Amino acid sequence: MHGTTPLLTAINLRKTYVKYANRIEVLRGLDIDVAEGEFLSVIGNSGSGKSTMLHLLGTLDTPDDGCIHLEGRRIDNLPARDRDALRNRTFGFIFQFYHLLPEMNVLENVLAPAMITHSVWSWWRNKKELRKHAAEMLDKVGLGHRLTHQPRELSGGEMQRAAIARALINRPRVLLADEPTGNLDLANGHHIMKLLRDLNQFENLTIVMVTHNLDLVHETDRMVRIIDGRMDGQELSQPPALAAAV
Amino acid sequence: MYKLLLCWRYLKTRYLALACIISVMLGVATLIVVNSVMNGFSKKLQTLLHNVVSDVAIEAHSPNGFYAPLDKIAMIRKDPYLNERIEAMAVTLDSFAMLQFYHRGSQETVTRPVRVMGIEMKSRSAVGGFKNYLQLQSADAEPTFVVPSDIKAKFAAVDKEWHDFHQFQFEQEIQRLRRLEEQEKKGDLVAPPPQRLDFEAGISPEMREFFSKLRKDRPAPPLAPPPAPAPFKAREPIGAIVGHLVANFKTRDEDNNVTDRAAMRHGDGIRLTTITIGQNMTPVYDDFVAIDFFKSGMSEYDANCIFIPLDQLQRLREMDNRATNILVKLKNQSEADDIVKAMAILFKGEPLIVNTWQEKQGPLLRAIEIEKNILNILLFMIVGVAGFGILAIFSMIVSEKTRDIGILKALGASSAGVMQIFLSYGLLLGIVGSLFGTILGVTITLNINTIELAIAAITGQRIFDGSVYYFTEIPTELQPMAIVYMNLGAVGIAVVFSIIPAFRAAMLHPVQALRYD
Ligand SMILES: Nc1ncnc2c1ncn2[C@@H]1O[C@H](COP(=O)(O)OP(=O)(O)OP(=O)(O)O)[C@@H](O)[C@H]1O
Ligand SMILES: [Mg+2]
Repeated sequence: MHGTTPLLTAINLRKTYVKYANRIEVLRGLDIDVAEGEFLSVIGNSGSGKSTMLHLLGTLDTPDDGCIHLEGRRIDNLPARDRDALRNRTFGFIFQFYHLLPEMNVLENVLAPAMITHSVWSWWRNKKELRKHAAEMLDKVGLGHRLTHQPRELSGGEMQRAAIARALINRPRVLLADEPTGNLDLANGHHIMKLLRDLNQFENLTIVMVTHNLDLVHETDRMVRIIDGRMDGQELSQPPALAAAV
Repeated sequence: MYKLLLCWRYLKTRYLALACIISVMLGVATLIVVNSVMNGFSKKLQTLLHNVVSDVAIEAHSPNGFYAPLDKIAMIRKDPYLNERIEAMAVTLDSFAMLQFYHRGSQETVTRPVRVMGIEMKSRSAVGGFKNYLQLQSADAEPTFVVPSDIKAKFAAVDKEWHDFHQFQFEQEIQRLRRLEEQEKKGDLVAPPPQRLDFEAGISPEMREFFSKLRKDRPAPPLAPPPAPAPFKAREPIGAIVGHLVANFKTRDEDNNVTDRAAMRHGDGIRLTTITIGQNMTPVYDDFVAIDFFKSGMSEYDANCIFIPLDQLQRLREMDNRATNILVKLKNQSEADDIVKAMAILFKGEPLIVNTWQEKQGPLLRAIEIEKNILNILLFMIVGVAGFGILAIFSMIVSEKTRDIGILKALGASSAGVMQIFLSYGLLLGIVGSLFGTILGVTITLNINTIELAIAAITGQRIFDGSVYYFTEIPTELQPMAIVYMNLGAVGIAVVFSIIPAFRAAMLHPVQALRYD
């Protein structure tokens, strides 16, 4: 049940890491379209650049070349402030290794993006509401009874669910999930998948999920594969000058 | 919002932060304690200095003084501006003398140079810084140089004894002469047997005859009576006020404590030898009686000064109507500089110099001030050390928190926001540290004497030896403004030193930070 208008588009993304004499061309002109409300899974070999692509899409990093559009607006070359705001409100990140802040309890971790959004003032004014919202979020992911626990007191699955709740607290438009089930056992993995699918179906959340697990791919709307720094089946995009010469 | 929360959480969970707080705290506490004690000392010393020195002093260029001091006072009083502002004036004659007295302990005569000040008791007391330091007469309305009658009687008794002895000797002599006279009259005054002179052995008998004749013809010596002693008249002993450390010697008892031991007591006689002015500079002396002792706490004065009546010193030194100083007490301290100026104009061309007490004690006061400033700089370096501690510990925390910083940035935290976390962390450490430091420093300062006693009890070694210094307690003075500055400085240092780690944290690349382990 996804629409046809592309929400997030990336064209000709290039990213090269240079370390000393080594050039690692990770992305070589990758194109990707994500439609509104789509649940897209991205697969590819280890080291093929899935995480790198996700970071680029989520403005955590900037591409060497190419551009990224969100609803037609170019976002990869925005000033740092605007990209910070995008990360805070438009994108939700779920990492493979949960990445919860150890100084905060579960509820505070979930509230972290909201805390970043709000100044001290508006935080105090909206505190009750936000806390309620976070508690609901945690309830939804099945952690309603562990609000005051520290991250280290949770299991891997529970931490990942807390991380999902955190990614959703600011009601993002796109959820970028980097192997959300990679570190979990089968049961936990299925639980998380169900959660994501429900979110996609009932809240019309656009999800881009990187995974290794081909079993999970069947539960998503569409699957793309990264090979050689490009999308599988993508036309070999050439630099414009070269194309003109041919 | 997250900044405050994280800041607070970092403070609560990092024990290393405690080290920062403690180092700031100790730095601030030391600064406050040392400053307060230095201020206390300097204030106390200033008070002491000021007390023994009048507000303004008019001094003669030469030790021979100036003529007609009372005319000068009259001149000042005639000036309405000065007259209005001056409370009291006193003429003094300052000179040097050798002191001799009989040491009570060793039974020997002590001879030493002293500073003799001729003063007029009433006016000197009015100028201040004198009367309340007198050991015996400080409570009296008007201290005097008058020797108490019992001491006078004692001296008179001794004098009488001497007089009687001389009288007796005189009478004995008169009697002996009278006896001789009578014998001669009777003719049984036997001439001494002719002495045979050695050289007579070799001379002729005629010559020998001549010599013996010569001897016989020689008339008897006249029996002149000695001069009669003057009729007895008890001396009027002159009172003197002796510096406490002139009359007392510091000695060490068996417990190694330094105590004052009296070498001279109330009522003991002293002799002052000085010289007359003029080209001949004849040594002159007179005897005095110690009737009181002067203890100001300024050893420079207590160990050197002897006060005697002005007229007595003038008489002794043949300095009639001369003085070396006029001490001036002002109604309002703060006008001292203007008054010095006015007096300088008044006495223009005369061999006099007018000074305020600060100018007189200038070098010492400045030395104390310089010492305090150097000490402050050194102590601030302690806080600087605390700053480097903060730098090191913060850098560690930033390294440790790299991944968390990556997470925060991934969640939308700005670089400035991340920087603020660490800056406010430094600010918080600085504030908490200097707050505790202030509490600690003020507490120590207020109880420094108790603490000193407790340490002395534990170690058996007094830190502050009351006998070395004149004050029995460590003087302190807390200056609120100075404490505020120290706190601001310490907080400032904490913030400045957290800038580098904070900047490093802010500049972290989110993706690299996330990959960091
Ligand atoms: N900072 C970096 N410097 C150098 N090379 C890097 C850097 N970051 C990533 N790479 C390289 O880029 C390539 C792609 O990394 P990326 O993390 O995107 O792979 P991935 O597809 O997510 O792999 P995995 O499935 O194992 O997570 C890897 O070969 C990696 O070594
Ligand atoms: Mg990856």
